[in-house]
Amino acid sequence: MEDIFSGIGLAFSPYAIIAVICGVVGGIVVGALPGLSATMAVAILTPLSFGMTPAVSMAMLLGTYVGAVYGGSISAILIRTPGTPAACATIFDGYPMTQRGEAGKALGWAALGSCVGGMIGLFFLVVSAPLITRFALSFSAPEYFGLAIFGLSIIISVSGKHVTRGMISGAAGLLVATIGMDPIQGSTRFIFNSMDLLGGISLISALIGLFAVSEAFNSAETVMRESERIKQIINGLFPLWREIKGHAVLILKSAVIGTFIGALPGAGADIAAFVSYNEARRSSRTPEKFGTGFVDGVIAAETGNNAVTGGAMIPLLTLAIPGDAVTAVLLGALMIHGLKPGPMLMAENRDLVYSFFCSLFVGNLLLLVFGIGGIKVFTKVVALTKRLLVPIILILCVIGAYAVGNNLFDAKLALAFGVLGYLMQKADFPVAPLALAIILGPMAEVALRQSLIMNHGSWSILATRPISLGLLIIAALSIFFSIRQAQKENKKREAMRS
Amino acid sequence: MLRKLSVVLCLFTLLALSAPRAGDFPGKGITIICTAAPGGGSDALARMLAQVAEPIFGQSVVVVNKVGGANAVGLSEGARARPDGYTVTMATVEVVMHPLLGNVPWKVPDVFKPIMLLNSDPGAVTVRADSPWKTLGDFLADAKKRPGEIKIGCTSPGSIWHICAAALEEASGTKYNLVPYPGGAAPAVVDLLGGHVDAVTVSPAEVGPQVEAGQLRILAVMSDKRDEKFTGVPTMKELGFNVSIGTWRSFVVPKATPDAVVKVLHDGFKKALEDPKLVEFARNRGLGLDYRNAADFTRMMGEQEAMFAKIFKAYDLLPK
Repeated sequence: MEDIFSGIGLAFSPYAIIAVICGVVGGIVVGALPGLSATMAVAILTPLSFGMTPAVSMAMLLGTYVGAVYGGSISAILIRTPGTPAACATIFDGYPMTQRGEAGKALGWAALGSCVGGMIGLFFLVVSAPLITRFALSFSAPEYFGLAIFGLSIIISVSGKHVTRGMISGAAGLLVATIGMDPIQGSTRFIFNSMDLLGGISLISALIGLFAVSEAFNSAETVMRESERIKQIINGLFPLWREIKGHAVLILKSAVIGTFIGALPGAGADIAAFVSYNEARRSSRTPEKFGTGFVDGVIAAETGNNAVTGGAMIPLLTLAIPGDAVTAVLLGALMIHGLKPGPMLMAENRDLVYSFFCSLFVGNLLLLVFGIGGIKVFTKVVALTKRLLVPIILILCVIGAYAVGNNLFDAKLALAFGVLGYLMQKADFPVAPLALAIILGPMAEVALRQSLIMNHGSWSILATRPISLGLLIIAALSIFFSIRQAQKENKKREAMRS
Repeated sequence: MLRKLSVVLCLFTLLALSAPRAGDFPGKGITIICTAAPGGGSDALARMLAQVAEPIFGQSVVVVNKVGGANAVGLSEGARARPDGYTVTMATVEVVMHPLLGNVPWKVPDVFKPIMLLNSDPGAVTVRADSPWKTLGDFLADAKKRPGEIKIGCTSPGSIWHICAAALEEASGTKYNLVPYPGGAAPAVVDLLGGHVDAVTVSPAEVGPQVEAGQLRILAVMSDKRDEKFTGVPTMKELGFNVSIGTWRSFVVPKATPDAVVKVLHDGFKKALEDPKLVEFARNRGLGLDYRNAADFTRMMGEQEAMFAKIFKAYDLLPK
């Protein structure tokens, strides 16, 4: 009990509060800018935090973490640019909402979803970390394969009316994901003797290209013609209590998925966003609305990806194993302060652990404050004429892709993917499945091949492990119903035409 | 007038062309190329060294992450840098591996001049604390009884922890089911904790917290001397196996860099490496400091090259 109070005292000291505020604000900016990631921001801040007390430095780093995971949604919703891979799923419904003049509403829900998702993740971290850890430990390669396939089954649902084309696009994405070093055998694949391709296609370059650059090209077509600015509604932005109640189940479910995926060391916020988006669509009464600017899509993706922050802290505190890339850096930050992450931390520095919880609480609360408070400022971006906005977006895209690894090749790659995305849209090929396959392909491949190695080449391992079997069955059902849904809609369209 | 001007210009050109005197070095900020992304051990060490070295050199020291191609991009960029000492590359063990695997068109002695070795972390054989194997002897005896059955989690072929597992196989004449974890040590350790694999061959630092918490047990380390923290764990050499492998990090500069400049860099960074703040950081972060001068480091790279070549050949990884 004493520890709890001294922990609260540590987290609410003036320095810690200032640190968490600075962290959240900085994190939101970093998250919103394409190419700058939470991992990068936390890694660069870590040596600076050496001189601070552990509580203050972790307040800053945790603030940066939650801020950056949320920040990606802003550019995703407003300019179709994934600030981080985690915000990719937010684009599907967030950007169509902006095109309809509902950017404010989308941003409001993104902020609320992120805050509540983060809070629920934190709740699970506080009350049930050991339990979730045990469940996470039962996950190995076959289970990851099931999870990846469940995530990939969304390909059909994000393809809209073009199911076949969506599958072609997804298959192309899987192929792109194989470029680079073979993750299991170490040999090289499709690199055409280019050193730049040795490490594979940079995920963030591909996402920036497919979504943001291609959209910039699209806008450029009409740039001379119009001054058609979409009028944004900016009143009544805060979601009403009635609406929140209506979405309570969705938020809770997405947060649970996000927390759990966060706790899995092999999967992070990007995968969590896709899986909760897919689950929201699968269980929705109006799945056809997803992808057309349906607020539920934004809520599911944003709640899911921010719940990861709490979840990813779970294995860090119970096993000294990071739950995602950012917590890997946090692990290092704890260690340079002479702390022992893992079970020893809770035993030896209980007050400090409580101060981390409090800082996460404050950080998540600040997301709501800055997220809602900033809507009017953020939406000014889309009030710019396209003549100004399109070049700015293109410059951001190139710089962002370059900044990932200070590698010019990545910037060229983003432009190439931009051309690809643009041509695909012109030919009515959905782009989202390609992006999804690039994100999930490597996980599916590695998990499947590891499973087979573990089981001496026999496929039975996928069916004999209950969690993996369960996930594969859900994935199969999801594919089945998505196809039927698409067929029904196509029939409806045909009936309307004739 | 024109004549005077041309003389002045010629003099300036001469001045610019003349090699910088070591006494003036460093006259501007130094850049460290880190070939890995922010977040890992290499990046952490580079940033901390930069911070500590700034007052020593009296100039800014900046870390730039040049990421891509499993460190090959950054290494190649470092090799191509202007040979004036202002661009230093943090070369990791991959600097020896990539040329062997045919991933890059250069060889270390042709393009780099080594400054010093900074750190090394050995491999180790780690099992669950509740496993029946109390010693490496138990483990190897069991492995002999059922070849290919015991699962060892390591990284992908052609990377360091896989080489450690392969070296264990070769030195002891046992066979395992090597499960590669391309995501690095952490996912392999998780699967060991979850009981999905039986052992891992990552560094002691990467299993340190779990060993201290009583969940895992290190059977042997693959270094010349025992681990500072886990002094009760024998080395492979003590047990009669000539296996000493691990990952390491070093500073190198382009081949044409003047020796006098290299000496300034060496002296400055050696001082930084001995700074109490850095020593404390490295101990806390679980990074084994391992200073070696250029000559010793060069010899070490030569030995490793020969050993890697043998293992790559056995695993059919050499370019055809």
